[in-house]
Amino acid sequence: MKFLAKNDALCIGCGECEQVCSKTYFKESDREKSTIQINDKKITVCTQCGECIDVCSVGAISRDKNGIVRINKKLCVGCFMCVGFCPELAMMMHGDLLEPFKCIACGKCAKICPTQAIYISKES
Amino acid sequence: MDLKNDQAGHKFLKEYNYDLGDLDRGYTNRTLYINVGTHEIKEKPVTPLMKDKFIGGKGFGLYYLWQAVTEKTKWNDPENEIIISSGPVGGITQYPGSGKSLVVTLSPLTNMPIDSNAGGHFGPFLKFAGFDALELQGKADQDVIIVINGNKGTITIEEAPAGAVDTHILGEQLTEKYAENEEDKRNIAVISTGSAAEHTNIGLLNFTFYDVRRKGIRLKQAGRGGIGTVFRDKRIKAVVIKFAGVKGNQNHPADQLTLNKTGIKLHKEIHDLDNVQNKMRKIGTANIIEVMDKYDLLPTHNYKFGAHKNTFKISSEVFISKVTQNYPDGCWHGCSMACAKAADHFELKTGPYKGQKVTIDGPEYENAAGLGSNCGIFDPDAILELNFYCDTYGIDTISYATLTAFVMECYENGILNKERTGGLELNFGNIEANFELIHQMAKGVGFGKIAGMGIRKMKAYFEKEFGADPKFLFDIGMEQKGLEFSEYLPKESLAQQGGYGLTNKGPQHDEAWLIFMDMVNNQIPTFEDKAEALHYYPMFRTWFGLNGLCKLPWNDIAPANNKFTDEPAKIPEHVQNYVDIFNAVTGKTIDKHELIRQSERVYNFQRIFNIRMGYGKRVHDKLPYRAMGPVTVEEYLSRQERYDQQLAEFLGYDTTGKSAEEKIKVMREYRESQYEKLTDAVYKRRGWTMDGVPMVEKLREIEMDLPELIEVVKKHV
Amino acid sequence: MFKLNNRDCEWQVGLTVKELLELKNYTYPRIVVLVNAEVIPEENYASTIIFDGDNVEAIHLMAGG
Repeated sequence: MKFLAKNDALCIGCGECEQVCSKTYFKESDREKSTIQINDKKITVCTQCGECIDVCSVGAISRDKNGIVRINKKLCVGCFMCVGFCPELAMMMHGDLLEPFKCIACGKCAKICPTQAIYISKES
Repeated sequence: MDLKNDQAGHKFLKEYNYDLGDLDRGYTNRTLYINVGTHEIKEKPVTPLMKDKFIGGKGFGLYYLWQAVTEKTKWNDPENEIIISSGPVGGITQYPGSGKSLVVTLSPLTNMPIDSNAGGHFGPFLKFAGFDALELQGKADQDVIIVINGNKGTITIEEAPAGAVDTHILGEQLTEKYAENEEDKRNIAVISTGSAAEHTNIGLLNFTFYDVRRKGIRLKQAGRGGIGTVFRDKRIKAVVIKFAGVKGNQNHPADQLTLNKTGIKLHKEIHDLDNVQNKMRKIGTANIIEVMDKYDLLPTHNYKFGAHKNTFKISSEVFISKVTQNYPDGCWHGCSMACAKAADHFELKTGPYKGQKVTIDGPEYENAAGLGSNCGIFDPDAILELNFYCDTYGIDTISYATLTAFVMECYENGILNKERTGGLELNFGNIEANFELIHQMAKGVGFGKIAGMGIRKMKAYFEKEFGADPKFLFDIGMEQKGLEFSEYLPKESLAQQGGYGLTNKGPQHDEAWLIFMDMVNNQIPTFEDKAEALHYYPMFRTWFGLNGLCKLPWNDIAPANNKFTDEPAKIPEHVQNYVDIFNAVTGKTIDKHELIRQSERVYNFQRIFNIRMGYGKRVHDKLPYRAMGPVTVEEYLSRQERYDQQLAEFLGYDTTGKSAEEKIKVMREYRESQYEKLTDAVYKRRGWTMDGVPMVEKLREIEMDLPELIEVVKKHV
Repeated sequence: MFKLNNRDCEWQVGLTVKELLELKNYTYPRIVVLVNAEVIPEENYASTIIFDGDNVEAIHLMAGG
């Protein structure tokens, strides 16, 4: 199973990962729109655990063949239950957006991280 | 009229097209009127007065009903209406419990306005389709179905196909028929009732929603007051609505971010705390069955007792094992409270659907207590099956349970016997007879037809036909204003007697539930304290009904720090949440005091509506004595120690050597006088005369001095 | 004698909050206990002793309906 793994001890809090994430996803530089969040050198990001899948009452969240948990925006009704129920606090909400958003382990942030505090893991 | 066939193969009696319109800050600013007798369909504008004084939901329902009827109108006159409305906050997807439909009509049980609320998707869909309310008036001369397509902007009145009336079949058929494919089924919501609604006065309305995980319909009920009976009297078989494309900003709120944040805050609270608090996600409202039993408050044998040795057989743990779903679910999007429960593949043992495997929604606390302990039934499968039949036959489980408990006590007292019931041995605990009774109601035959009239009419019937003692019937018949009591034992809590008795629509617990606050916690010891609670809580809870909201997320979960707040019982943080989401949707700037005033306006309007219909006075707020104290020697003896102690403590009455009958008499005088004193205090707090009529000054104070209200009030002061 | 929810209650030497709740059959899961207006955390129920003349409140946060 693929997911973005982390090592908080290596994080220097530079915020490069947040910038590249929001640019990749929303074509703008806004850390509030990043699926990875760094606060006091603590990394918050989805572990692809999938608890949100059962929380969603409209079946808008599912796991793809690579093990990545994805949101189907067409089915999503914007209730944000998944945000409140995420054990990692890694399901995100932004006032501009009607649906929640989350890390899909694309790895762009891992490439840019200067200390390898984050990296793509394929272990289960 | 040009009659043609639709794709489903039934005749269109009327076709109407409308512009989809815009939803702005929680309102579409338009309502829909349909007359099923004349086939007239029209749109009405929502006026500023309606929004300012009546807000929406049951406020709109009462407003329209007032205009539709006169003081002479009866429930089965064509001019009676059924009004369904959600309210400005209704349909938001972020805050738990925001999908309620409020239904208002003149009740066949009480002859005055009743309002009842239901979950399901109809209310929000109606608003998204373009209407803040739906008025149904007139009487069709044949069974009809109304179909509203909220994406195309079409409304049709269609000749109903012959066949199933019962909801678990009809709801599924109509969902199938009007959905284009499996994916489209989530966009359909159906209102219907069942066969027993035609033959009884306790008919309810079922509201469906499509459960995408189960791939089947689920039901929620507007249960109280016989609304389903009115629906069938109008010969409406179903109202179907279709709306595709629900998003989180459907209401076009003034402040989306506040809605999102407030919703997430509560989702997180529920995630963190529900499992250590009420376990609503796990078992729903049934969590309190054994709690009620332990505190001697579980209605048992027609409210005679508050506990039973067999309660463990119907405890919440037992029902948890019957509920087969492995995920919690709600009845509208975003409800993480998720109290909706279901037992799948339940094989029915009786009736026309015997052998069928069905999904049963529930059980909720009321069903388990009413159908269970109150009728002396401690068999969980029987309770589930009765629950199923109440729903699909379209009758209110609460009224059914309470009237059956009454019938059983009459049977055990010899007022009824096998001859009078047509062979039904209706002793407490007789499951077989209970099933026979409910199946008779569906067919409109036998004793089921008599019982289905409701307790008030049964009392008159038993007196006239069987010479029963009217005083005894009055004492044990647990109805007031014509409505059957819901399933809490109010006997030992004066405040809850007020909560049931000093109500607009009869003894339900939608208005106030104060048993623990009063009886156990002793937080409201004086009459003034009780009166304050009987002012605040009914007003606060009325507000849910103005806005399309559910009561449960208010106080069935509490923030971790709630116990340290100044008024833990009010859950201050959640009250502020409601202020915040109302303002976020509407763009208004109310505070928690204005919230209460919004309710006061509608609450007083409803009281005056009752007075206009010939009710709503002090005499109508009187309670049957079973709700206030021990009627029989058996009941007195069951709590002898407590009652003897009370007589000594409160009245200095020496109980030595006194018979139970003597003590019952003294106790009764005392308790009845307490209720009268409470009534005085509550009327005073509410700004009413001692006869229960809202005073003109009060109406001015809350800016509700509308001429039509003043006119009614002036006749009665 | 001590007060429980503003009602007189028979006192016994060494009575703890835990024992009191059991004695009164207070089994509801959401009870807030205060002794002389101080909130007692649930983990201290067994170790908190009630003294003669104390003012004990056991507030059931019972929602109902």
